[in-house]
Order: sequence, then C-alpha cells, then structure tokens
Amino acid sequence: MGEEILEMKNIIKDFPGVRALDHVNFTLEKGEILALVGENGAGKSTLMKVLSGVWPYPTYEGDIYLDDALVRFENTREAEKAGIGIIHQELNLLPDLSVAENIFLDRQPLNKFGGIKWEELYHNAEKVLSRLNMDIDPRIDLGDLTVGKQQMVEIAKALSLDTRILVFDEPTSALTEAEIKELFTVINELRASDVSIIYISHKLEEIEELADSVVVLRDGATIGDKINISEVTLDEIINRMVGRDIEDLFPTVDFERQEKTLEVKNISVPDPFNPDKKLVDDVSFAAYKGEILGISGLMGAGRTELVNAIFGVYGKKSEGEIFLNGKKLNIKSPADAIDSGIALVTEDRKELGLLLDKNLVMNMTLPSIKTFSSKFAMDTHKERTITEKYVDELNIKTPSLDVFVEKLSGGNQQKVVIGKWLITDSDVLILDEPTRGIDVGAKTEVYRLMNQLVESGVTVIMISSELPEIMGMSDRIIVMSEGKKTAELEKAEADQETIMKYATGNKGAE
Amino acid sequence: MKKFIKNNGTFIALIFLIIILSFLSPSFLSSRNLTNLVRQVTINGIIAVGMTMVILLAGIDLSVGSTVGLSAVVVTLLMQSGIGMWLAILITLVGVGGVLGFFNGFMSAKFDIHPFIITLGVMTIARGLSLVLTQGVSVPVTNRTFAEIGSGYIPKIPSLIILVIALVLGLIAVFRTSMEIKNGDKVRNKAKLTGGIILTVAGFLAGFLIFIGYQGIPIPVAIFAVIVMIGIYTLRKTRFGRKLYAIGGNEKVAWLSGINILRSKTMVFVITGVLSAASGILLASRLNGASPNLGDGFELDAIASVIIGGTSFMGGVGTITGTVIGAIIIGVINNGMSLLGINSFYQMIVKGFIIILAVMIDVLNRRDTA
Ligand SMILES: Nc1ncnc2c1ncn2[C@@H]1O[C@H](COP(=O)(O)OP(=O)(O)OP(=O)(O)O)[C@@H](O)[C@H]1O
Ligand SMILES: [Mg+2]
Repeated sequence: MGEEILEMKNIIKDFPGVRALDHVNFTLEKGEILALVGENGAGKSTLMKVLSGVWPYPTYEGDIYLDDALVRFENTREAEKAGIGIIHQELNLLPDLSVAENIFLDRQPLNKFGGIKWEELYHNAEKVLSRLNMDIDPRIDLGDLTVGKQQMVEIAKALSLDTRILVFDEPTSALTEAEIKELFTVINELRASDVSIIYISHKLEEIEELADSVVVLRDGATIGDKINISEVTLDEIINRMVGRDIEDLFPTVDFERQEKTLEVKNISVPDPFNPDKKLVDDVSFAAYKGEILGISGLMGAGRTELVNAIFGVYGKKSEGEIFLNGKKLNIKSPADAIDSGIALVTEDRKELGLLLDKNLVMNMTLPSIKTFSSKFAMDTHKERTITEKYVDELNIKTPSLDVFVEKLSGGNQQKVVIGKWLITDSDVLILDEPTRGIDVGAKTEVYRLMNQLVESGVTVIMISSELPEIMGMSDRIIVMSEGKKTAELEKAEADQETIMKYATGNKGAE
Repeated sequence: MKKFIKNNGTFIALIFLIIILSFLSPSFLSSRNLTNLVRQVTINGIIAVGMTMVILLAGIDLSVGSTVGLSAVVVTLLMQSGIGMWLAILITLVGVGGVLGFFNGFMSAKFDIHPFIITLGVMTIARGLSLVLTQGVSVPVTNRTFAEIGSGYIPKIPSLIILVIALVLGLIAVFRTSMEIKNGDKVRNKAKLTGGIILTVAGFLAGFLIFIGYQGIPIPVAIFAVIVMIGIYTLRKTRFGRKLYAIGGNEKVAWLSGINILRSKTMVFVITGVLSAASGILLASRLNGASPNLGDGFELDAIASVIIGGTSFMGGVGTITGTVIGAIIIGVINNGMSLLGINSFYQMIVKGFIIILAVMIDVLNRRDTA
C-alpha cells in the first residue's frame, strides 16, 4: 500500500438537464479498498462509467491519471487493456453461453481454421477460477448458476484481463449471506495480491467490514476528502451522505393489530423443472390491518414465489385459497389481483417493474390506468398531476417527468416502482425487497411511508433479506425455508439467531 | 436544426424523392398520376395502419396479403350469389378479416407462439381458400354500385370543404401536441411545431393540387383518411393505445401491471385483419373483380411502410403518422420506378434494400440513445 496508482481530477459529466458529476477528485492506492458511497443519483455509477470507458473521452471533462500518466479511454476495451475492470450494478453476461466463453468472450484461443480450441479454453477458465477458489465447472451454461456464482464469473473475467483496478458497483444486492462472505474473502485476497478495489454499496455495515477508506459523493461532488475507515463513524458517513443526521433508521410505530384482512391457505407452487419438488409448499398465513408483516428467509426459500402466487402470476398452476376481508378471491392473473385490491412491488425492477424506455408518467400510472381514463381517452392532465405528487412525496430525483426511467439512477428507479403501486391505492401492499439498492436516507423514507400506509389502513407485507430491516420494521415475521413456512414470530421473539435458525431449515414446534 | 432533421427525417427523405422524380419523369407530377399514386398508397396504407399496431407489440402479420385476396374473392362471390352489397361487405369484414385476425391474435397470444409462425400458416391457408373458392380463376363483379366505392370521387366542392376543415383541424392538433411540460413550465417544442406545420400545410397543398386539379377526392382516399385519423387518435389518446405501447415496451411488466395481454393482442390482430379485408374489398371494387392471387406480397409493402415510418421492430415505439409517410414513400418508389420503366423484378430488389436500410437506421438510433 501507499503507492498511488489512480487519480481522477476535476471530473465533470453532464446529462441533458443534470450535472451528474461536478468537479470530482479522488485518488486510489495500490492494494487499497476504497468505498464509494452516496445517495441515489449522487453520481457513483456515473463516475465509475467514466473511469471504465463506458462514457468515453470527451463526453466528460477532467483528467484521469493512471500511474501518473494521463489516460483518455475511448471505449471500455481501452480501459480493460489499461487494467481497469468493472462489475456493473446490473450483470453484463450472456446466460446462454458457457462459463468459459463468458470469461474469454472474444478472446477464445483459436485453431488455424478459426474454430475455438475448447479444451484449452476450458483449461484457461479453470485456471482463472481456481485463483478465486471457486468450484465452478467452466463447461456449464452461465444461466444455470446462481446470481452469486455468476458474479464470481464476472470477477474471473476481470482477473483474466490482468486487472489492477477492479470496481464493484453494488455487488451484494442480489447475493445470499453465504455468497457475500465468499465475495468478501475473494476481495480480501485480491487486495493481498495488490489489486486496488473501488467498492460501491448502500450497505454501510459492509463498508465498515471491508474498506480501508471512504469517499462520499453528494449531488455529483465529493464531500470532504478521502477518510480512513478507522477514523470515522458510520453516523459521520451518513451525515456526509445526506447532509443531516438520521436519528432513527427504523422509525417504528406501535400499531394496534386490527381485523384480519388478507388470509391465504395452503398455497403451493410446483417447480416447473422438477415435478417432485415444490417452490412453495403448503403455506398458510394471515395479515392484519394495522401491522407490517415481514417475510424472512434465505434466497431461494420461496418467498418471492409465495407472493407471486398470491398475485396470480402462476395462474392455474398454483394452488391454495386466498381471502380478503373474509371474502374468497378467485385470482388467476395479476389483473385479477389488482382489481381485488392487492399490489405487488416486484423484486427485479429492470425486468419486471419498469418500462425502461418510457417516461415516468407512463410507468407510474400503468397499473391504475383505468382511473386515469374515461371510457376512451386518457386524462393526461390528471396523470401528470398525480405523478408529480408522488415524485415529490417519494423525493424521486429526476430532471423532468418526461425522461425515460432508464436514465434515472438505480435507487430512483426503485422509487418509481414503489410509486406506481402506491397510486393504485390498494388495500394490501406487498413489497418484495423494497429497499434493494436505495440509500439510507431513502430507506427511512420508504419505512416512514410504510408506516403511513399502515396508519391509513393498508395491510403491508414486506419480503426482505436484510435481517436488521425485517427485525426493525415488522410487527410479525414469517420465516420460510425451502418452500415451507418454518416459523411465525412476534416482534418480541424475533432475534437474529432465532430467525436464522428457522431460515436455515430448522423446523421448530409452532 | 439537427433535432429538426432527426424528428422529421423520413419526411425530408420523401420530399427529396419527389423532387428527384419530378425531374426524372415529367409525368410524375401530373394530377392524374398523383391521384393514381395516392390510390395505390391507400390500399397499402390501410393495411399498414393495422400493421403499425402489430409491430408496436413486437409482432408481425404475414397474412395480410392473403387476407386481401380472400376478402376480394369472398365479397365478389357473395354478391354474385345475390347477397346485397352492404351485407356482403359486412360479412367479408367480419367473417374473413375478423375471423382470420382473431385466429392470428388468439393463437399467438394464448399459446405464446410467435405470430410469425401463426400468420405464416394463415397466409398459406387464406391463399389456399381463395384458390379453392375461385377454382383458380378470376371472378368478375356483377354489382354496378360496388365499383363506385373503389373508383368513385367525392365532387370537387365538397372535396375542397373537407380539405379546408382537415387543414384547420390539423393545425390545431399540431399546436396542441407541440406543447410539452418541462419542469412544471409549459414549453413549446419548436422542432415538433415547425415540423407539424410544414407537414400539415404540405398535406393540404398536395391534396389541393392533386385532387382538386383532377376529379376530387377519390373515395378510397377519404376512407383511408378516416382510418388514419381514428388510428392516430387510438394510439395517442386512448387507454387501448397506451396499453399497446406498454406491452411493446415490456410485455412482462405490462402483464404484471394488470394489462390483459391476450385481449389486447387479439384485438390488434382483429383490427389488422379487418383493415386488410377493407383493403381487399376496395381493390376488388376498383378492379371490378377478384383474382385468387390478389394481394400477393402486400405484407412486404405494409411492413416496409411501418418500419420506414420509424416504428421499431423491437416494439413499443412508433406512430401512425410515421407509417403514413412510410406508405407514401413506398408508393412513390413503386410509382416512380414504373414511370421510369424499371422492370418490376428490379423494383423488388430495391425495396428489399430500403427495408434493410430502414431497420439499420432504427438499430443505430437505438444505440445512439442507449
Ligand atoms: N444515461 C443517462 N442519461 C441521463 N442521465 C443520467 C444517465 N445516467 C445517469 N444519469 C443521471 O445522473 C445522475 C447520477 O446517476 P448515477 O447512476 O451515477 O447515480 P448513483 O450514485 O449510481 O445512484 P444509485 O445509488 O441510485 O445507483 C442521476 O441524476 C441520473 O439521473
Ligand atoms: Mg448506481
């Protein structure tokens, strides 16, 4: 450590209507793990895209020095050659190709006829993967791996390029606890071999655990200098990020549990690839007005599938009964669920939540399109007014209502997804990982909002993989493991160990 | 200026094409030729309006040409068998266009089969039916009034009045739609406004010179204009139109937001089927009969019009105004090449290249904005 290998100087990057980066300066040393933090839309991803050639010179202003030499990348290839690798916020791999092909895309060893030398390719891939201590077969299709393993493949790909600076943009948001541990081990090993790391995350505990130093971005500018992690508290970092102290990360309100609203009985979802297995196996539960019901469990425990079944995603393929306010519902599609007053904030915003190349108005009003139109024509004025109201309320950072949502930062996109379901005014709001990728300030805003909704009589159900969030916000917690409900805990009985015990499949007497 | 060109690129291309052709062939600009041209555009344009909606859903309909043929045959045979003209037309629109469209839409949406396959099948089935019904030979129209629909004109004075009303309504619409709200302020989109005004006035002048100079507005053109206006309104203003853009944008997201994909898709194919049938009826009327091969290859012109008009084959992006310009471009190219005496075999080659070019432009544009 100590030797400076990267300096970014006075970086400015403008998009139509926004200055995403405003004179950003920072330096990175050999073998350093630098955490880059900041609110949604602060410019973290944009800064890293400038560094890695996604935004080529001269679409930005300012200078980048690698080993004291000025570099101006015209594309990502050049940045890769210079030893800069990036694991993007959204994975960038090809699921239908093999692991090895993904690692050596465009660089496969070829024979005289231009065919791929498969054995050599697999051998090389094995070599790179073994550097990560990863037990992954380079021959299988990438799409057959878990998200965590896919990410390892991305890292392997970066390593195969002799990367000296490796950027991680929110790498853990889709990983299980075990996978996160694995990832951290790998990152620490990389540091030991003198790779420098820039690590972006909204999970401050991770940063505390992993990073050597922190740089905070707010509204496109660095706040203060780079600080050593040992010389700063989390509260100070948060204060730099949002410009104020956040007193209460989990603003819990003691509600009175009222009448039963949503009740589901014996929900089962078959596994389409394995008729003997069930993704959701005979789950029953009830939710009440005046409480937040949390659903906890490890990734793959069937939580998403459970709420999808309630929402009608599987149509006739799922079994079970659903009651709302004592009335039996016949839900065969999401449209039925919405009509009955059930809303689902889906987990994967890019694939399932947003029309990326449509504007905010169209996205936000889509599920409640009926209320914005007479028999024939859309009421565009009403649409804008309501959208505007929710943009304000959720504090969505956007230059206008007319930009495509793909231009928003990850966290602001998430808020759009939440907003579109709030507009439906449903009786039951199910949120699947609602705070994934959003910053601490915005998280508390979402929590406050959930509280407000409960207060106004909405039944709120939240799936979350983050234990502090589940424990902090829920009044009651259902734990799932391998498709089955393994526990139902009152807030008072729910501590970390108990939840983890049930989440790992330890069935208790209930 | 750059924005202006980008927003109105196809229109500018059309103007260039017209200028070049009027130099190359003096008879191109004659009212008679232009009236003919517009009538040809009409036949393809009516289908292309439906095709726009299909491609907006990232789908395709290859059966439109055969639907044209079968409809022409059916309406002719129905009248031969003594059924009244209007009833025959109605039966054809519903029984041929509606049924084939329903089959296309329902099968592809319900069983999640790409419409390419289903409509390819229907294309062959419908063509086969035409051949069976006619025994492979042309059938003549016996009803006199029927011929009027395809070849008649609205007299000059009413035509003029209609054109003026269209001009005024068009300008009002341009003014209203060029207003955009930015950061809470109402701002006028200058590029859109200028483009819109030029387009509307040019349309009026063209209409005036072509129709008033000859015999008035051809009835098929009037029908086409009405269909276009309804189409534009549907896509821009209605809930149904909004749903189509949403489904085209991301079908899964739209479905999870409560949109009934099956119903919307089926509806779009039914509309396209009915419009193709209408086109076939007009063609039978103009030709005073139907041959079983009528409409062969029409799907290509319709698809080309839509793509040239800026609708993305990836779905979710596109307008009917664009398609109309695209249809006129195709019409001008067909007509121009015939005037210049270019063999129709070569015409096919040229059109093929134009389709590829239009798709390239779409792909490059996408990459630009990504
Ligand atoms: N391609 C783009 N076009 C226009 N604006 C963009 C584009 N990409 C980012 N922006 C804008 O730049 C700003 C910074 O976005 P960026 O994605 O860098 O934020 P971030 O710090 O990574 O946020 P998050 O934590 O939510 O991922 C935002 O206001 C965003 O709307
Ligand atoms: Mg980001």
